[in-house]
Amino acid sequence: MRGFVAKYGTALAGLAVLVFFLFFARNFASSANILNILKHATFLTILATGFTFALLTSELDLSFANLASLAAVVTGGLIAGGTAWPLAALAGLGIASAGGLANGILVTAIKVPSLITTLGTAAIANGIAFMITGGVAFVGRWDPLFLSLARGKFFGVPVLIFFMLGVVFIAWFVTKQTKLGVHMLATGEAQEAAHRAGIATSRMKLIGLTLSGVTAGIAAVLLVANLSSAAPQMAGDYLLNGIAAVLLGMTMFEPGRPNVAGTFVGALIISVLGNGLVLFGAPYYLQDIMLGVIVIASVSVSASVLKKAAFSV
Amino acid sequence: MTEILSVHGAKKSYGAVKALRGADLVVEEGEVHALCGDNGAGKSTLIKLVSGVENPDGGEIAVRGEKVRLSNPHAALAAGIATIHQDLGLAPGMMIYQNIFMGSELQKHLLGIPVLDRSAMIAKSQEFLVSLNSVMRDMKARVENLSGGQRQAVAICRALRWKAEIIIMDEPTAALGVRETEEVIKLIRRLKENGVTVILISHSMHDVTAVADRVTILRNGRTQISRSTAGLTPEKLSELIVEGGTDEDDPD
Ligand SMILES: Nc1ncnc2c1ncn2[C@@H]1O[C@H](COP(=O)(O)OP(=O)(O)OP(=O)(O)O)[C@@H](O)[C@H]1O
Ligand SMILES: [Mg+2]
Repeated sequence: MRGFVAKYGTALAGLAVLVFFLFFARNFASSANILNILKHATFLTILATGFTFALLTSELDLSFANLASLAAVVTGGLIAGGTAWPLAALAGLGIASAGGLANGILVTAIKVPSLITTLGTAAIANGIAFMITGGVAFVGRWDPLFLSLARGKFFGVPVLIFFMLGVVFIAWFVTKQTKLGVHMLATGEAQEAAHRAGIATSRMKLIGLTLSGVTAGIAAVLLVANLSSAAPQMAGDYLLNGIAAVLLGMTMFEPGRPNVAGTFVGALIISVLGNGLVLFGAPYYLQDIMLGVIVIASVSVSASVLKKAAFSV
Repeated sequence: MTEILSVHGAKKSYGAVKALRGADLVVEEGEVHALCGDNGAGKSTLIKLVSGVENPDGGEIAVRGEKVRLSNPHAALAAGIATIHQDLGLAPGMMIYQNIFMGSELQKHLLGIPVLDRSAMIAKSQEFLVSLNSVMRDMKARVENLSGGQRQAVAICRALRWKAEIIIMDEPTAALGVRETEEVIKLIRRLKENGVTVILISHSMHDVTAVADRVTILRNGRTQISRSTAGLTPEKLSELIVEGGTDEDDPD
């Protein structure tokens, strides 16, 4: 019974919140609003999945939101400058992935703690994004095919949903069903033991941090397609949201451990909460307070496990 | 008997600390070989060289007469040497079978994609444990919930998984009670019956005289004595360690 609550309690609480808003928050259940929630949840899930990979190897990535913003302005800037959108999207994906790889190299080869490394690359990415744009946003009337990445529908279902489910499925598969996944887990759980068992723990950390950059790139391209514009701080809000989603996810399914299913449900809960609170007439600043509470409460729930991990820098 | 592992003139310094000043260790196939010496004598350091955790500053290591370079744990495992370290060997939060197969997971193919073969790993884990006469029902139990003796069994299974011919155990009974110590002694005997060579580091004179065939005593980073345990009582052994007797005591 206690095991059940530990595993599914948070998800059930999230369901209760959802039902509550469905009944009591005006306009919450409208199809336009549900689409809004799902869109937010898509960007959030994809970004948070990358953070999950990094945290699985016991490394923090505080740069993913700014890497996403940088990738967004690179993509948007190239398109605005006349580059074909597939190339522009690849460039955005590439720059964020390179940022993640740089994090990985700094952490594993030069041994700068990830907290510091990614704080640094976050600032650098932010600076470069402002440099590229000169502080203003790229806007334009862009190729409808590009925009349809985020706005299109497939059999009546928004394409974005497929991106979200696709990323979640692949990440779940990698973490749960493959050797790479258990090696990353073992690296995060007991680095020395994993190393002595012949696992390339540095490479696992490098991969975890790089994947966090890759997902930042994917989310960035979708964000640009969704807004048909790109600005230097456009993904900034996703940092705390994403971290909260992952930490909330660690209170579910595999308590105390970063896990993709938990991250996904965590992202859904945070998207629903944020949206519902606004519709409920709660002041905007209440969202920040809510995220802060979620972060601290989640960590205190799974504190015993986190003590030995990344947060005990 | 054939020599399965030999270390000659091993040197290792940590900054100004000379942990090993030319230590020798010769282990014969199929024996249980104890490595003794006071705190700081260099036992763990010597084992780290043999298990690829540290690289020597000097000296030679040979397996079955062939010179080897064990520059990382993987190389040592490939040479048939598995080490069970005092701590840090297992991932406490992970399951029994995940620990046994850590770093060498079994895979099957799903639509051409290699995926983990959990049921095979679980079945094999059971087999290894049965071969050690160790009883654990749930292979998905977390290692942190096992007794000290059971953890040693899990660690040994990992070594067996690697098809290790030499299993090194660094103070396997240090933190254990009387009954669990007996359990580990039985595990070691069982390994010997299965033809595995065991190197045992221990401060317990009783364990050494109970289970070891030969003993090597280190002192200040050098090999002091290497002899058979025949006729050796725990009291005599501790005298040799403390007073550093000479090889004249060696009956063979
Ligand atoms: N990583 C290290 N850095 C610095 N000095 C070390 C290191 N490892 C061991 N030493 C030193 O080397 C010497 C030998 O240590 P070692 O751990 O090999 O001894 P030991 O025989 O295993 O002792 P014990 O019985 O206490 O485990 C000691 O003086 C120890 O302090
Ligand atoms: Mg030692």
